[in-house]
Amino acid sequence: MPKLQLTLAIIKPHAVKNPVALSYIRNVIKNNFVVLKTKRMILDAEAAGSFYEEHVEKFFYNRLVTFMASGSIDLHIMGHTHAVEVWRKLLGPTKVYKAQFQEPYCLRGMFGLSDTRNVAHGSDSLASAEREIKFFFPEFSLYNWYTNDEIRYRKGPILFNNHLFQHVRKL
Amino acid sequence: MNTIKLFVRWRSPSILLSRTITTKKKLHDPSEDEQLPIFQYPISKSSDRRVYVWGLAETGALGIHLPRSKKSGKKAYRNNFNLVWHPMRSSFCERFDVTKLACGYGFTVAAVKTNEQHKVFGTGINTDSQIGYHAPRIGHPLEMLLSPAPIYIPYTSLETKITGLAAGRAHTLILTDNEGVYTLGNNAYGQCGRKINPNEEYRGSMASHNIKRLGKEKIVDVCCGQDHSLFITESGRVYACGWGADGQTGLGAYTNQGFPALVKGDITSEKIVKVASTVDCVLALNEQGDVFVWGFGLLGLGPNVQQSTKPKQVPAPLFGRNEFNPDSMITNVACGIGHLAAITNKGDLYMWGRNRHGCLGLGHDKDQHFPLKIGIGAHVLSVKCSVDHTVAMCKPFT
Repeated sequence: MPKLQLTLAIIKPHAVKNPVALSYIRNVIKNNFVVLKTKRMILDAEAAGSFYEEHVEKFFYNRLVTFMASGSIDLHIMGHTHAVEVWRKLLGPTKVYKAQFQEPYCLRGMFGLSDTRNVAHGSDSLASAEREIKFFFPEFSLYNWYTNDEIRYRKGPILFNNHLFQHVRKL
Repeated sequence: MNTIKLFVRWRSPSILLSRTITTKKKLHDPSEDEQLPIFQYPISKSSDRRVYVWGLAETGALGIHLPRSKKSGKKAYRNNFNLVWHPMRSSFCERFDVTKLACGYGFTVAAVKTNEQHKVFGTGINTDSQIGYHAPRIGHPLEMLLSPAPIYIPYTSLETKITGLAAGRAHTLILTDNEGVYTLGNNAYGQCGRKINPNEEYRGSMASHNIKRLGKEKIVDVCCGQDHSLFITESGRVYACGWGADGQTGLGAYTNQGFPALVKGDITSEKIVKVASTVDCVLALNEQGDVFVWGFGLLGLGPNVQQSTKPKQVPAPLFGRNEFNPDSMITNVACGIGHLAAITNKGDLYMWGRNRHGCLGLGHDKDQHFPLKIGIGAHVLSVKCSVDHTVAMCKPFT
């Protein structure tokens, strides 16, 4: 069995504020991935700006940064053998207006409001997933996790803790 | 025992029969007819209103929750009641005279004609306190309301009347006749018209903000986009506040605007009487009652999703203008995020577009490619579309 890949999911402010959407998204995550860490935080404008610094020159940069700084966001580090690919597949196309007609039952098609308010962020590659995890979870060491804990999350025994919303080792 | 019962049952009709034959026949008296009470079905007044709701019920935005079957305990509601497929009459609006309605993202607010404190009611998602502070237990504010609850607003006088309502993604504007505008809910972009505080907690907040006047003028109309607000004053000036990242506030800058500021550009010299702001596709209406559409989505011009940069007319026969009804015309239009609605002068509602969570009220959740009449048993006066639910204000037929 191949090793687990890690990806970062960011649930955007408007979806966190909608209890119906949030419970649906959390169910999808719970049923498809191994959740390693979950955190709810409020991003300030500077942090959001440095997180999206690759988009600085793009026309939607200001829109994206002000939106991400407008409320609390949920962060999940998730594991799966093809985590990046599977999470992007579940999310659907980036453009919500296209997504709701092409794939009406993907997360963005169901709960997205516009191209910026598109429910959730998914890392586009393994390298960017690593960078994003380092950005939001500086205390989480990918190297330590792969050497010590990866095998347990892959083979078990683990349990899902609903209160923490993450998988924990079964004692 | 059995035989006796049978005997009684068999005998009784003949007893009755013999009595009717032996009673003396009454003479017909015409004056008595006039004294008899005449039964009449109740006829509705012209001021009566009915409200129909449909779409996603899980958020509580419809204000309906159905009781569970009689078998289970006393206070139980159906917990798998997610969608309302067909227009359903709202029982809240039967008990109160609803004058104004507004739909936000997952919540609905309604203004009631009354001289008491509670003039506005809200139901649905309340994570940003956009429908007020509701806490049955102290310190545990509700995040979702399944049935309408009164919103507390500190009016200075109880005679104040609500003249307008508007709801955005997570904020509400309440326009009164002589106390200005009250704003509730999320202010992360300044859409409530007050100073932006980046660390403000909106869940369980009791704050409501009052904007009395703008530029020493009375406010006569309000309008909400998703995260911005627009105000019209008496002399036809437009003020805006809120999220401006795409220039939607029209203030010449792409920043968030905390306090309503005068919209710049060509409209400063015009007298504006009405503004509208939604998301994506645009509907326009001319004096002859024809509908024009442009934008992106299922525009009602064919089965394919399309993008139209030029306004195109939606054929009038699709809205019921034919040889038998040559004078049928569209009087009102509305649109949500990907669905569109039009009301004819006969009070019929036509809807089409993306059928997210059954918000078209057609009885299924497939997309609708052309305008189709929605089955509502009343004369539709106005319709409010939200992202995933729709509310129609109607008048009874008789």
